[in-house]
Amino acid sequence: MAELLLEVENLVKHFAGPHTMFQRKGPPIKAVDGITFSINEGETFALVGESGCGKTTVSKMILLLERPTEGVIRYRGSDVHTLKGRDLRGYKRSVQAVFQDPYSSLDPRMQVLDIIGEPLQVHLGMRGSALRTRVAELLENVGLGPEAGASYPHQFSGGQRQRIAIARSLALQPQLIILDEPVSGLDVSIRAQILNLLRDLQQNFGLSYLLISHDLAIVEHMSNMVGVMYVGKMVELTTKDDLYSDSLHPYTEALMNSVPQPDPDIPMSTTISGEIASPINPPSGCRFHPRCPLYGDSDICRDLEPDWREVKTRHLVACHKV
Amino acid sequence: MNTDAGIKDSPLLRVEGLKTYFFQRNAVLKAVDGVSFTVGHGEAVGLVGESGSGKTMTCLSLMQLIPKPGSRIVEGEVWFRDQNLLGLHEHEMREYRGHKMAMIMQDPQTSLNPVYTVGNQVTEPVNLHLKERGQRALDRVLEALRSVRIPNPEQRLAQYPHQFSGGMRQRVVAAMGLVTYPELIIADEPTTSLDVTIQAQFLSLIRELQLEYGTSVIWVTHDLGIVAQMCDRVNVMYAGRIVESAPVRNIYKEPQHPYTKALLDSVPKMGVKRDRLYQIEGLPPSLHSIPTGCPFWPRCPAAMDICHEEYPPRTSLGGDDFVHCWLAEK
Repeated sequence: MAELLLEVENLVKHFAGPHTMFQRKGPPIKAVDGITFSINEGETFALVGESGCGKTTVSKMILLLERPTEGVIRYRGSDVHTLKGRDLRGYKRSVQAVFQDPYSSLDPRMQVLDIIGEPLQVHLGMRGSALRTRVAELLENVGLGPEAGASYPHQFSGGQRQRIAIARSLALQPQLIILDEPVSGLDVSIRAQILNLLRDLQQNFGLSYLLISHDLAIVEHMSNMVGVMYVGKMVELTTKDDLYSDSLHPYTEALMNSVPQPDPDIPMSTTISGEIASPINPPSGCRFHPRCPLYGDSDICRDLEPDWREVKTRHLVACHKV
Repeated sequence: MNTDAGIKDSPLLRVEGLKTYFFQRNAVLKAVDGVSFTVGHGEAVGLVGESGSGKTMTCLSLMQLIPKPGSRIVEGEVWFRDQNLLGLHEHEMREYRGHKMAMIMQDPQTSLNPVYTVGNQVTEPVNLHLKERGQRALDRVLEALRSVRIPNPEQRLAQYPHQFSGGMRQRVVAAMGLVTYPELIIADEPTTSLDVTIQAQFLSLIRELQLEYGTSVIWVTHDLGIVAQMCDRVNVMYAGRIVESAPVRNIYKEPQHPYTKALLDSVPKMGVKRDRLYQIEGLPPSLHSIPTGCPFWPRCPAAMDICHEEYPPRTSLGGDDFVHCWLAEK
């Protein structure tokens, strides 16, 4: 089996809530509330969920852009918050990110050469022709010509910009790339190009991906393991094959049924009612219970938070009714 | 649904050879370049295409809401029942826009005014088009809000858009469109900003309303899943023209145009394992440099010599179905 690259244990992030007229500090926003998962080397782990479920906050904590309230992030066995000096820089080099919107994630006033070259200058002190050669090589990796280096982001289409963002993330030869909705801003015909490119790069460089997405078809196509999140909690975690053939949690089921299939012969099944709960004031017990088709007024769902338990090998779920 | 057979024979909306161009200092951009299609009574028709294919400009042209100055409808006819809308004066057009035909815009964030209450905004079309005020208008508004399943509409009327969640806001926008019982709804990517479970709720809501009132719908989208689930007929657009038009099942089971085929092959499908996705090379053409001949030829796997030279004529596929491709012409 593949080796463990990154482990996240019982990760919690509470933000200070909005203050009210009578209280300086409102109740905390429980953006991420105790989640555990791990990413193997060379594999893709997908985090799936709707807005406000905390998937982006998790990625920010892994990138050290947010400090967790509680919990541990381990990279190759060592706690990343104890790293210092050279080790810390090493960690920052090995974890990179590609964001959703290629229009705002690239500085409009920098040439592509500088956008991709900046991490090389900062971390490796590369200059001059060595830098240009390396940038040209990176551009080639993502299917762009070396002449692109002299251009500015506005001269490229959305798909090409996303290629530039990918080239930048590859510059420091990372182990793990966080892909936060990497194709949702792109045209349909361009999505396939980027998804194929990401797959090729993973095979060529042995990369691990943390894929954050709400599109279950893309997740099925790309990932090895999938974690489903709902309002700050992980509700189900298993291998891709198990999830798509035998999902257990009613929320996962609801997500799958909600995807309109590109086939008129597969009609849309009935979906769940109600709205996504707010992380400011999440429902008691199981956070999904107000929308859950299995709830049926049972006290246990309303009052008791379900345990995170392994029901089958490599298939964890948090639900009283499973 | 409409029971009158005589009306049912003639379509509700017939668009003929619509051309909408942008005029720039040194270029004419053909955003919509000869689009023809029909929408029957109670029918849901999809306009599918990527950004820049002209699908939104087509709809804005139908509503005569194209950006001015800068663009102009240069040619074409838009028949709504037996009235050519393009011949109407602005004040006559107001009879149709927002009354007989309504548009549900993409982004509820920007299509609602943040400084007016929701009740105020949904009441406006009632006052304006149905000339109803007071209690009668209020009843209508409440009915519309109830029909889009907004809980406690009486209390919600006095609230502002920011007090609504994204899904609820999109329902308010839908209620604004539906409150005058339009015969035609143009839905321009109405669910792109919604989460999957909320999107599913919205889609089934629109379908119920469509069955209940027999409303016709034009779905403008690039999401092939929504098209498959919601449309009776699909028009595939590329570079300002409709390249293929057929009932939804034919489009998905036997696509005729190479672009339609490629588009369908390039989306990942749940339950279908593939190592690589089919990849359409290149980019959708920019309006500044549309290739000569068939605009798809630089990306087409089956391009022939004639494709570079001449735009393929319309090849009938039986009934109203057609495709523009030299392969089909042979």
